[in-house]
Amino acid sequence: MKAWLGIVLTVSIVLAAAGAPWIATHDPIQADFASGLRPPGTPGHPLGTDQLGRDLLARVLHGARLALFIGVCTVVVTAVAGGLLGLVAGFVERWPSTVLMRIADVQLSFPFILLALTINAIVGLGLRNIILSLSAAGWVVYARVVRGEVLAVKQRDYVHAAAALGVGRARLLFRHVLPNVAPSIVVVASLQFSQFIVAEAAISFLGFGVQPPTPAWGSMLSESRDFLYVAWWLAAFPGLALALTALGVNLLGDWLRDTFDPKLRV
Amino acid sequence: MRRYLLARLAQTVLVVFLSLTAVFGMVRLTGDPVLLFMPMDIQAKDVNEFRERLGFNDPLAVQYARFLGNAVRGDFGESLRYRRDALGLVLERLPATLLLAGCALALTLVIAVPLGVVSAVRRDSVFDHVSTVVTVLGQATPGFWLGLMLIYIFAVQLRWLPTGGVGTAAHLVMPAVVLAAFYAARVARLTRSAVLDTLGEDYVLTARAKGLAETRVIGKHTLRNSAIPIITLAGLEAGQLLGGAVVTETIFAWPGLGRLTVQALLNRDFPVVMAAVSFTSIVYTLTNLLVDLAYGWLDPRVRKA
Amino acid sequence: MRALRLLVVVLVMSTVGVSATSAQDRTRTKEIVVGFGAEPRTMLGVTIVDWTTNNMLEHIYDRLLDRDPKTLKPKPMLATGWKLVNDTTWEFTLRKGVKFHNGEPFDAQSIKATFEYMLDPANKSHYATPAYWKPLKEVQVVDPYTVRLVTDKPYPSVIDHASLTDLLVLPAKALKELGPQKLADKPIGTGPFKFVEWRRDDRLVVERNPDYWAGPADVSRVTFRFIPEFSARMAALLSGEIDIMKDVPPHAVDTVERSGRAKIRSTVSSRINYLALVNLKPGPMQDVRVRRAMNHAVNVDELITQVLRGNATKMCGPLAPANVDFAQVECYKHDPVRAQALFKEAGVDPKTLALTLDTPSGRYPLDKDVSLAIAAQLQRLGIKTNVVVNEWGTHLDKIKNRNTGDMFFLGWGPALHGQGTIEPLFKADATYSSYGNNKLLDEKIAKAVTVVDAKARAAAYTELQKLVRDEAPWVFLWQQHDLYGVASHVEWSPRPDEKVWMYEAKIVPR
Repeated sequence: MKAWLGIVLTVSIVLAAAGAPWIATHDPIQADFASGLRPPGTPGHPLGTDQLGRDLLARVLHGARLALFIGVCTVVVTAVAGGLLGLVAGFVERWPSTVLMRIADVQLSFPFILLALTINAIVGLGLRNIILSLSAAGWVVYARVVRGEVLAVKQRDYVHAAAALGVGRARLLFRHVLPNVAPSIVVVASLQFSQFIVAEAAISFLGFGVQPPTPAWGSMLSESRDFLYVAWWLAAFPGLALALTALGVNLLGDWLRDTFDPKLRV
Repeated sequence: MRRYLLARLAQTVLVVFLSLTAVFGMVRLTGDPVLLFMPMDIQAKDVNEFRERLGFNDPLAVQYARFLGNAVRGDFGESLRYRRDALGLVLERLPATLLLAGCALALTLVIAVPLGVVSAVRRDSVFDHVSTVVTVLGQATPGFWLGLMLIYIFAVQLRWLPTGGVGTAAHLVMPAVVLAAFYAARVARLTRSAVLDTLGEDYVLTARAKGLAETRVIGKHTLRNSAIPIITLAGLEAGQLLGGAVVTETIFAWPGLGRLTVQALLNRDFPVVMAAVSFTSIVYTLTNLLVDLAYGWLDPRVRKA
Repeated sequence: MRALRLLVVVLVMSTVGVSATSAQDRTRTKEIVVGFGAEPRTMLGVTIVDWTTNNMLEHIYDRLLDRDPKTLKPKPMLATGWKLVNDTTWEFTLRKGVKFHNGEPFDAQSIKATFEYMLDPANKSHYATPAYWKPLKEVQVVDPYTVRLVTDKPYPSVIDHASLTDLLVLPAKALKELGPQKLADKPIGTGPFKFVEWRRDDRLVVERNPDYWAGPADVSRVTFRFIPEFSARMAALLSGEIDIMKDVPPHAVDTVERSGRAKIRSTVSSRINYLALVNLKPGPMQDVRVRRAMNHAVNVDELITQVLRGNATKMCGPLAPANVDFAQVECYKHDPVRAQALFKEAGVDPKTLALTLDTPSGRYPLDKDVSLAIAAQLQRLGIKTNVVVNEWGTHLDKIKNRNTGDMFFLGWGPALHGQGTIEPLFKADATYSSYGNNKLLDEKIAKAVTVVDAKARAAAYTELQKLVRDEAPWVFLWQQHDLYGVASHVEWSPRPDEKVWMYEAKIVPR
């Protein structure tokens, strides 16, 4: 049941993102000062308009594209980089593990905003900054969790048995260890996907959002702060879109995990 | 064991050192510190004069050596913005930060772990479905949005709680809840996942077959073995909480370390940034050390001799 | 179980502590709470140039001269009279019978000690720079209540500086005995309020000075609370936790008015906003015709009505009416036809023009939105504008390093006197200037800043403003309107110099 909900939501978001220019009749970046801050239900603007008169429905739909883009990019980069590093570190142990963990510690011990500021100094504000900053911060979670899991799985009986049978190390890693660690990677990935989209909101809050007038849910939410008591719809609809996307992707991740993990099909 | 401990402590020192070096470089990349604390009608040559006097015109290597030499003695210099001892400013923020972090962590564990365990044990029940939706929403809601909503409802409309600041226990409620909401969701989900993993293991079947009470099965056999990923996450998060929760502190005007660090960074107040990062760096690596030791205690197979 | 009950009771009781300082209580005890977004940087006067810091310090310290809240002309404060002795010497007659908060008497030695502290390079005071007090050569104590300030060249701005927070008077004896570091934490002044406590990042509390020479304040206690997040400040105003809040944005005006707890008070600020057209590097803006065309192309009135909802006063030249050296100049009318003609004359085709506009975000009222609106307006003529939003520090960096695009948005203020506005903004070597290398302008500026005679000074600045207007280094925008949220039980009028001075506030029981 949950799986259906997950699939339906995720597919809807993807379709909405793909069909944005056709579903919404307005241009998301077209400003119309005379009709600023109109409430939902205004003719021509089912979800209302923002402070510069831009149609909110159009911005939310186009925002879906950006959200999916940011999510996919960052998840791919971090999962691959972090996962691989964690895998190797956990499996080989000894110094690669130590080095990796210390590098992760070094990075985690300084505040995220420093990363964002430094990247900002190099590439300026905008989409690249967001993806780079999020990736730089995100790989560590994978690395640590995967390493921890690998350490535990390594000790399990079937792994010992396979090693005793003379299975090569690489085969051991990819045939026996990885499949048992994969569910964790998938769950973490699904958690991270929605988190990266939400983190975009936090980055915008700190002042490092996308360049206007690009519609991104996070920066829309961040801007809506100033209008909280005046135009509730500016916070409600992007927030709703964010929540539904996160829900859908997470449920999907759960379903994937359940499918991949035979032990649980009891 | 002792050798391991010493080796790890040595690594901690190395990490802090590397961290400081990295931050030293990164912070200088972010821009000119002198501009931001000077009045706007300052002339170019006066800017230079100030920079000269503060030592920013010296070659980078010299600045770095000077910084390290002083940092080892606990002297991070004077805040460019406030003209006071930088480390002193950081330490002043500690009580407030610890209070908030402690409450948030306690709240998180108290809510999330039972939630996760029950969800796993009663898999696919209504409880499980509802808790999944709730935890996902907990993570999908940006902290600032949740905070502002809570302020609007509880402070403006109902007048039950203050909008922010410090003072009484009431001031602690909303910030702790906002922080905990996010972390609790994560911990709950991972707990559920980890417990589910363990429940499928043979020793659990054995324990059940032996006729052990269900709570014993879960408490002793399951939880201990699924603890690893949970503790990893909790450890990561404790470290981050102690570094100060920037967004929450800003929204609720909580005088913590996160807020200080962010403002110092945005104002390019280098001495304060270095002091703050040194502090969080040490705390963070020590927390990780504790977490790794906890691994060893919980799962003897993982222990490094 | 008993422990749990006890815990609940304790929690409830400590929650009750919240309502202790509700608005009704504060009306009775005549306390006031002001909400600011930033906190002060020090408690010692004449050290750091920072609006927030100095605004709070003015409650604890006095200046030599005050400014009339409406005309902004200088008025006696710690000095009862002043006169020009010769081109480089000003003489001030000091008020008798004034005491510092620790009992120390105020006299000419206080002035001397203040300047000694300020100009000592070891103290790294911002006020020791040429824009402030560097030209001061000597402080002569003629007698305990007469003091002379001698400058190394004619310096007519002495009166302006003496009437602003550029000269907050410090206590001579305390400075010597306690030293600047201690005073930076526990200040002593002659002002209408005494220091009580400062909890960093949280609040500053001052209480009424009953022996204040101009009469005690109506307010008994002022708490400045530092709430960085705008909507949280707004929430605090709406819930009655704070009584005064600055910088209410135009769209929130209705919400505040309808809340029943607070009203909007507004005033025209001396702070100005402008769109700088950079001529300091090669580009279309180096041609004066293009710059004039831009002034005709941008519809400032539309920006004011639509984006700022009427909350700005249009400016036609570099100085605003609130500036003491203001002179009326001819406005650039919004005239797309004229703009097209000027572009053509300069050999530029607006349809192929691609410009970059750098703007900060959240630093000035609706700065980002105004920049986007300007870009939209330019689009009507076919000009493509790329708006680049910068983090504040980066924005300043870019301007200083001449690294911005063709235009940038900036504000300046409080812009209360001509020299403080024109000198730092139109010369090529000034830090935040966008315009320069105009020999005639440089000469005129250099001359105007040394003119001491009032009539000659007015004439010099009038000529300067006409010159600048013709050169069109900016698209002249407006004077900000400051919108304050003020609790209904507080009687207080905002000032054009942006000072939030609680000495002028009265608590009116409802």
